[in-house]
Amino acid sequence: MKGTPLSILILTLLLVSVAAKAQMPHDVLYMPRKTTCLALTYGQSSWNEYWEGTLKRDNLNIGTHTTQTASLMAAVGITDRLNIIATIPYVRTSTSAGNLMGQQGFQDASAWLKYRLLDKKGLSVHGVLGGSVPLTNYVVEFLPMSIGLQARTATGRLIASYTHAPTGLYLTGHGSYSWRSNIQLDRNSYQADGRVYNTSEVRVPNAIDLGVRVGILKSNWQTEVFAERFAGVEGDNIRRNDMPFPTNKMEMTTLGWYGKVQPRNLGLNVRVGYVVEGLNVGQSLSYSLGVLYQFNY
Amino acid sequence: MKKYTFLLSYRALIMGFTVLFVATSCDKTIQEPAIPAYAPTSTDANAGTWKTYVLTSPTEVAVPAPAATGSAAYQAELSSLKQQSATLTPAQREKVAYWGAGAVYRWNEIARELAARYNLPPAAGPDGKYPVPDAANPLSYPAFPFANPPYTARALAYLSVAQYDALVSAWHYKYKYNRAAPALTESSIKAALPATGIPAYPSEDAVVAAASFTVLKAMFPGEVPYLEARMKEHQESRLWAGMNVQSDLTAGAELGTAVAAKVMGRARTDGMGSSNNQSLTAGMIENAKKLGVTEPWVSQEVPARLPMLPAYGFLNPWNFDKATVVKLRPEAPPAVGSTEFQKALDELKTIQKNQTREQARIANYWSDGVGSYTPPGHWHRTAANAAHEARYSEVRMARTLALVGTALMDAGICCWDVKYWWYYPRPQQYGLKTTVGTPNFPSYTSGHSTFSAAAAEVLGHVFPEQANKFNAMAVEASNSRLYGLIHYRFDCEAGLKCGKNIGSYAVAWAKADGAGQ
Repeated sequence: MKGTPLSILILTLLLVSVAAKAQMPHDVLYMPRKTTCLALTYGQSSWNEYWEGTLKRDNLNIGTHTTQTASLMAAVGITDRLNIIATIPYVRTSTSAGNLMGQQGFQDASAWLKYRLLDKKGLSVHGVLGGSVPLTNYVVEFLPMSIGLQARTATGRLIASYTHAPTGLYLTGHGSYSWRSNIQLDRNSYQADGRVYNTSEVRVPNAIDLGVRVGILKSNWQTEVFAERFAGVEGDNIRRNDMPFPTNKMEMTTLGWYGKVQPRNLGLNVRVGYVVEGLNVGQSLSYSLGVLYQFNY
Repeated sequence: MKKYTFLLSYRALIMGFTVLFVATSCDKTIQEPAIPAYAPTSTDANAGTWKTYVLTSPTEVAVPAPAATGSAAYQAELSSLKQQSATLTPAQREKVAYWGAGAVYRWNEIARELAARYNLPPAAGPDGKYPVPDAANPLSYPAFPFANPPYTARALAYLSVAQYDALVSAWHYKYKYNRAAPALTESSIKAALPATGIPAYPSEDAVVAAASFTVLKAMFPGEVPYLEARMKEHQESRLWAGMNVQSDLTAGAELGTAVAAKVMGRARTDGMGSSNNQSLTAGMIENAKKLGVTEPWVSQEVPARLPMLPAYGFLNPWNFDKATVVKLRPEAPPAVGSTEFQKALDELKTIQKNQTREQARIANYWSDGVGSYTPPGHWHRTAANAAHEARYSEVRMARTLALVGTALMDAGICCWDVKYWWYYPRPQQYGLKTTVGTPNFPSYTSGHSTFSAAAAEVLGHVFPEQANKFNAMAVEASNSRLYGLIHYRFDCEAGLKCGKNIGSYAVAWAKADGAGQ
């Protein structure tokens, strides 16, 4: 991803300019029928302060907490208005201080169906159905080191967008509701909601996420700024000086920028996000870098 | 072609809905194991003669004779009971079923819940110092108590002893006065719980509720209103169930309160008040150095936290005397840096590199760390479930928990004595990470191993047909600390050996307490 391949990539970008598209579960782009986009993405997210309930704090026994993610994504054009998007991530956690052992492994595979419901005079509405399942039996009760929550999820999402065709300027908003399944701990008792549950089964809060993005989309490049809001619909707070737990009501508001260049088959995307406000989460600064390749067949 | 595409997208949508459906079952209610009511296999009619821990005799607290069943007063009580138990709301029915699982069983569970709620180490202040919980201000931060393993071992021991001593006394009076259950005297009263065949006066439920309340309000002084509400609900549930008349409950509550007060008299002088005497640690470190521990334990937290209850090892044990605590100390641990030490450290490094999912599962299952009811709570739960499965009477259930509970507190005392005698360094001082959190006290010997082997030894005596299972559990609990990377193998092995010896004293008590197995 670094060094030579990247310079070749940039060179390629400068040399070719035929429309190609890579798309995501929250945007309004579609792979045309008989095309598939593969993306290999590396992301890193770090925080040294977090919200313990509403209390913002640091933790000298964690220092800076880092999550690295490498994921493989495929977006398949079933028709021009129906796409399937699937992702497999490999996640690794670590800290700069203290003695909590980092965890790593394949996390949750997700798949999305995106369908254009309406497209009229630049205004479009899209429905997205998604689901995720854990790929491995990773440990869940060791937050913040655990790589995920083990919950199976199902998400319903609506996206509305307006594009000003002459300039490529667009405004997109989405709202989703995610059902998240109960999970099993290795332990057979735990504390949540101020009581002890004498079972290994844990309720993971369902969640909503919202997003607004403004940007410019041209045939071979895209730039946008976005605001995203994620919030569990219920849950408890991390108690004073306790560790996080899957029942926590996690909330965060992220501001960021996303950009993409894809002159022909090969492309590159970059995302930067910063959590400006949260509850029971780390105030993370994250970035990711993806290499895209479009197959036509 | 167009038709084909349509079909494909249609299929994809169906698939999407299937994923959605499979991924979630709509009902997310957490199902906890149901704990049914039962008629005990034995009434344990002679339990009034069993040996008590603190009471010198079962008649040390007097219980007045009840009104005769033919008396007007009792008949009035019966008709009041008939009325109260005739029709129940769903909420009342739920409470009857909840408390029907067992008085000792439920109060042990409540105590474990409180232990878990209060098992949080205080956060460091802006000055980098950790505030100490204050019993006089239990609800101001940091809440009192910090219910760590030694604290919880002691709280549960006193709870179980108070329940047991009070029930032995109650059994004495039950069979002295022989007042039958209300439903047997008045056939129009339909009891909502199985008949026990045990005389109803004084009520064992009221005895246990009041004794438990008395102990727990001292152990968790911030929870008095909560505990009062639970006690009231427990007593009322007996009326709703048609199991006790009010005078059964009143006599039981008075007996339970009085016996528990005597048991708490022992608690006030058992040494807990000075268990956090940090001025002793300098001398302890000196001693360890003299014994050859070249690199004594230091706190692995930032900022460094003072070690947990360094003088807990000086508390009064239950099943032996203080001289025996010293006698029960294990052999010396390997010298730091010796071949044996290096071998143990290398084993941990190997686990760190290749921790298997099964090792992680075991480490997590037994972690019983911050926010949990601790290893003593884990073993109380195991004991309570075993006694429930065996359909023990309240008094035999209390005896089981008192045997296990005293052994667990003895294990805590002995283990803490050893820990601060050797002041041995944690593996984290040599670069090891952990997957369960590093406890803030010296390494040698393993607390989990000591607690678990002591409890398993006692449970193996009470339930001989399950002895192998309990021993296997103790070994797994012990290994869990190795897999979690916070103990050397020799910490665990020495802990298991000590724990077994400690438990054998409670077994000796059990053999001589008059209760049989």
